[in-house]
Amino acid sequence: MLKYTLRRILGMIPMLFLISVVVFTLALAMPGDPFSGEIDPNNTDPEYIEEMREKLGLNDPIHVQYGRWITNFVQGDFGKSTRYKMPVSDLIAERMPNTIFLGVTSLAITYILAFAMGMYAGRRPYTPGDHFIGGFNYFGLAIPSYIAGVFAIYLFSFQLGWIPFQGSVDITLEKGTLDYWISKIHHVITPAIVLGLLSTASYTQFLRNDIIENSRKDFVRTARAKGTPERKIYNVHILRNSVIPLITFLGFDIVTLVNGAIITEAIFTYPGIGQLFLSSVTNQDYPVLMTLTMMFSFLVLLGNLIADILYGVVDPRIRLD
Amino acid sequence: MKNKKSLYWLLAMLLGLSLVVAACGGDEASDTDETDNTTDNTEQNDSTDTNDTSNDSDENQSDSNEPKKGGTMVFGVDSEPEGLFNWAFYGIVTDADIISLFDEGLIEYDENLKPQPNLATWETEDNKTFTFKFKEGVKWHNGDELTVHDWVFALETIAHPDYDGPRYANVQTIEGAEAYRNGEADSISGVEVIDDYTIKITFDKARVNNLTNLWTYPMNRTAFEGIPVAEMSGSDPVRRNPVGLGPYKVENIIPGESVELVPFEDYWNGEPKLDKIIVKVVDRSSVLGALENGEIDFITVHPSMGPQVEKMNNADLVTYPGLAYYYVGFKLGKFDNESLEIVEKYDKYANKNLRKAMYYAIDRETWIDAFFSGYGKPVNRPVPSAHWIAADDSELNTYPYDPEKAKQLLDEAGYVDVNGDGWREDPNGDEFVVKFSHYDVGDPQYEARAKALTQYWNDIGLKTELDMVEVNLYYEMIEKDNPEIEVFYGGWGTGADPDPSALWKSDALWNYTRYDNPESDQLLDDALDIDIVGTSDEKRKDLYVEWQKIVNEDLPMLYITELEETVAVSKRMGGMEFAVSGWNNPVEWYIAE
Repeated sequence: MLKYTLRRILGMIPMLFLISVVVFTLALAMPGDPFSGEIDPNNTDPEYIEEMREKLGLNDPIHVQYGRWITNFVQGDFGKSTRYKMPVSDLIAERMPNTIFLGVTSLAITYILAFAMGMYAGRRPYTPGDHFIGGFNYFGLAIPSYIAGVFAIYLFSFQLGWIPFQGSVDITLEKGTLDYWISKIHHVITPAIVLGLLSTASYTQFLRNDIIENSRKDFVRTARAKGTPERKIYNVHILRNSVIPLITFLGFDIVTLVNGAIITEAIFTYPGIGQLFLSSVTNQDYPVLMTLTMMFSFLVLLGNLIADILYGVVDPRIRLD
Repeated sequence: MKNKKSLYWLLAMLLGLSLVVAACGGDEASDTDETDNTTDNTEQNDSTDTNDTSNDSDENQSDSNEPKKGGTMVFGVDSEPEGLFNWAFYGIVTDADIISLFDEGLIEYDENLKPQPNLATWETEDNKTFTFKFKEGVKWHNGDELTVHDWVFALETIAHPDYDGPRYANVQTIEGAEAYRNGEADSISGVEVIDDYTIKITFDKARVNNLTNLWTYPMNRTAFEGIPVAEMSGSDPVRRNPVGLGPYKVENIIPGESVELVPFEDYWNGEPKLDKIIVKVVDRSSVLGALENGEIDFITVHPSMGPQVEKMNNADLVTYPGLAYYYVGFKLGKFDNESLEIVEKYDKYANKNLRKAMYYAIDRETWIDAFFSGYGKPVNRPVPSAHWIAADDSELNTYPYDPEKAKQLLDEAGYVDVNGDGWREDPNGDEFVVKFSHYDVGDPQYEARAKALTQYWNDIGLKTELDMVEVNLYYEMIEKDNPEIEVFYGGWGTGADPDPSALWKSDALWNYTRYDNPESDQLLDDALDIDIVGTSDEKRKDLYVEWQKIVNEDLPMLYITELEETVAVSKRMGGMEFAVSGWNNPVEWYIAE
């Protein structure tokens, strides 16, 4: 297992290298640079723009720029954001807690709902309850998160006044107090539900289908014949088998915890990694863009690895080595 | 049986779903309907708008005469601030708006964009040497007293070789700034401190706009103590604990979402009346809802949202003159960035009558009503009406909508349909296609308004093709004179100083049309020449009016519109006033409820 893990981790290096080359080239191939776009002639002048381009090396050929970037990057120097004018690592550190908080909440909601609904529907297939859950899920799959976000704000914030419509916390509260944390949860709950809508729906359906399929298998019939209580059959024997497909997603879930949610964060003005990534693309903030892309790529690879290892933990038959 | 049952369920679901979808769809549809309706009666809306200043006074009258104390104002901004909360370092308008709540400069601009003393008065005899006298006893938020040394500190920071903000142009003209920047001097020789409250600034030469161009925002020295200039823009006094001179001070900042401001008791110019100002970043999709619900008290809105704000019960739409103009430009030549001159001339659009015909073909009033809800008016010169140098329309050609005249001009110029395909050919009889480009930011309205312009030209028989280009690529192509760009849409903002040289001189990179007219260049130079205009604004204005007549006749670009600034102000707010220079001092604001 350890050998396998190490082999996989070493295998990531060339992959990350290739990703960095491709993304860097694509990013710089985008027309313009951090200083182009709409110009406010009162606030800048051509000499300044030219000087900054020279200073940041944007006039160098692309391989020179790549060389400079990768040398600094492997030494842990991620550069300075051209937009926020602060080190990229500080910027990410500033946004990361918000994103993780949102991700964990959303994941918790997803798992609780998906297990509750999936187990209920899987045990009583083709009943009105199952159909209702199914309908709800297809609705969740079909509705894009930006629509869901705007609607949630309109309904729960503007019509019902239950939740705040922007931000991650009420600024007037003292940091660290109980009210502060309650306010944080209050702010995160709706974006978390909106963000979890899609995965809740797909997890529920996966779980339901798998439970139905397993319930027809021989080992279940044997268990029934032995007189095992129905509850135990479903909650232990079947569930353990049905969880395996979900494990595939767990690895990716870890990635989404950190990646943030680009659209949901933007709509709820929730300052996290997703929003930062979006603004780095639109403003061509290369240092931030590259660091985040590398981080995302690394996490996806890592998530895959975790999923593969977890398979072995859950199902001894597919233990790798 | 079972199948049938599930079929019913499916149908029921689908029905339910379609209802929801229809609800969203319906919402959008009614939205557009609303804008459509209002375009019809924008005339009336407009007339109520122009009385907006009176609206304001209405408010004041209805809520007793005494401004009340207390309350929390929520100040909305519709894009994320970069967090560079210092005049010397900020880059975008959102940040500048927030800074203006807690900091102010030595001079301010009145409704005619003329400089007025604020924290300092000035005297000059020759427009080369200025003596500034600071008010005594003005306090920074950290308790320090404002002295001229804070200003010297700001000037030296900006002139420092490691400085990474865009403001050097405002210091460059001081004598010795260049030497300081190149490391040849330890201080700027043109800056001479006389005592703590008096300072003499000498420029490298006399100019009429030396004062308006000068950097007049001091920086607190103690806050920045020990921070190298290269690291200032990312440092705490800029990003986390800004120290200003204004009526409110920054209490707390949550990057990317909100800023909390509290009154500053030692403010020099009156007593702040609000308990708190909270700046909140609001996504554009929730601006209207938040206003309607009273969640925000103030926000700048896009003109297309104006009619919806006007209908609200708890917010007013206030409009005030803007400083930007929008145009359709023609590429008349090619610019060389090295030698800074126009090296090649294109002749596709060189015929002045062609450009004039294209101007007469546009119904600007209707176009503005349709795409900016009427919050703007046609402009006939590259100077917004609010500016003191603006030429009166009576001195200019106004180019009213007149398709017949446009056709006649084209006929005279030789652009006639010779092969009978319904489109005009050029005077040589070759096919003629106007290639019009517009930037694309993903907003469908942009394409609609560009299409509307091409339609006007199609209507007079000029075949027009539209090209929507991604915004970053668009400006790069325009700046580099990419041959793909022929006729293009754009906008320019103008500042307090009226000098348009950076956008109009033939040696300017941002003269995107590559308009080259020695007479125009000469007038622009003369208007800045102290030997010609002296200190008389009248003489200067006369020259600019002359210049506007020339560009109004030559039409290197078709001036389309100047938009009004549109802001939404909650009905419970009092004391807020707006002029071309922006909003009044926040110290005047109060909550009237």
